[in-house]
Amino acid sequence: MRLVSADNFNFDEITEAYNQSRVDYLVPMPMNTARLKEYARVYDVDLKRSFVAVRGDTKLGLIMLGIRDNRSWITRLGVLPAGRRQGTGNYLMEACIAEAHQAEHTQLWLEVIKGNAPAHRLFTKHGFYETRELIVARRPPGPQELVVENIKQITTLEQDEILILLAHRRQRPNWLNETESFQNIHNLSGILVELDNGGRGWVAYRASLLQLTHIVVEVAAGDPTEVTAAVLYALHQRHKRQDAVAENLPEDEQWLGFQQAGYFDSFRRIEMLKEM
Amino acid sequence: MITILQIEDNFANKILVERVLAPHNYRLLHAADGETGMSLALSEKVDLVLVDMGLPDIDGQTIVTMMKQIPELDGIPIIAITAWPIDTAQEMAERYGCDGLITKPIDVKSFPDQIKAFLTPNNP
Repeated sequence: MRLVSADNFNFDEITEAYNQSRVDYLVPMPMNTARLKEYARVYDVDLKRSFVAVRGDTKLGLIMLGIRDNRSWITRLGVLPAGRRQGTGNYLMEACIAEAHQAEHTQLWLEVIKGNAPAHRLFTKHGFYETRELIVARRPPGPQELVVENIKQITTLEQDEILILLAHRRQRPNWLNETESFQNIHNLSGILVELDNGGRGWVAYRASLLQLTHIVVEVAAGDPTEVTAAVLYALHQRHKRQDAVAENLPEDEQWLGFQQAGYFDSFRRIEMLKEM
Repeated sequence: MITILQIEDNFANKILVERVLAPHNYRLLHAADGETGMSLALSEKVDLVLVDMGLPDIDGQTIVTMMKQIPELDGIPIIAITAWPIDTAQEMAERYGCDGLITKPIDVKSFPDQIKAFLTPNNP
């Protein structure tokens, strides 16, 4: 088995290998080439520092490394059926950790789907520890059960305003929701919602024809649950026909607001960190 | 002839469904991604749609959402097929307004009866 830098392959080849690695995964998340390419772009995946494990011409596994400042992030680790039970995952992890060391990064992050015990064991073995549990939430379109009658004003935010607000959040965002991800998103939208009682909050998101994604809500003043629900109510009044996906939400008072606005817990990820 | 549209990216799963349903004289259409599936649903006269929840271009849930908003597809049963854990799968199917749920791997013995029941919901 040998490792080849992922930039030796085109995205079609990488996508095919990735999909083969996820055929029997706990939460299958296949991607087409365009989707994986966009994923790599938005989350700053560096293919030069990502790897494909091969034997001869056969691909056995892959791992991707995202890089931001002095931090890196492991993602899309997958072992193809041909590479199972041969230590392929371990080999790929060692390579990415060595890359992070070589780049003198101080933190190496990753997420594992809750319930994926073999992957969790692998990461723990390599010195990762759990930092928090994160929720991947969804909301189908349709009439809102929630009624919010105390909205005083809704202001549409410009892209540069959204990025400033994102950069000044109180809580540390997960890699997917870091400001750097939003800087890479082309058609970013946002609204600021003010309530009669002084509550104030905003939401940043990406709206496509079919979906609302990259949804981040921040409460600037007032009750976190009430303001979150009101902000999301305003969002879904504007976008009544789109399916919505909010990734990597902490389970806190804001999550209650998401639930009031019709979101439900689709699955959970465990965020893990290795201090370098 | 009854037409079933299968939206499924996994080739092995596609073949399995085709083999299991072959003796039952259905017309089977296949789409390997959501966009093709939507296109076939709109261009062909379809009686039942089987949607894998994990598709490479558009989430299966989003496909269901779209189909439920199209008047021409009104009344056509949309069945979610997924390998997700059963609790998650059931909530997903219910919230997205699917008319039924079949978990993977499919049970080859009961699958034809499940399909028959979805096609004749008032007379299973």
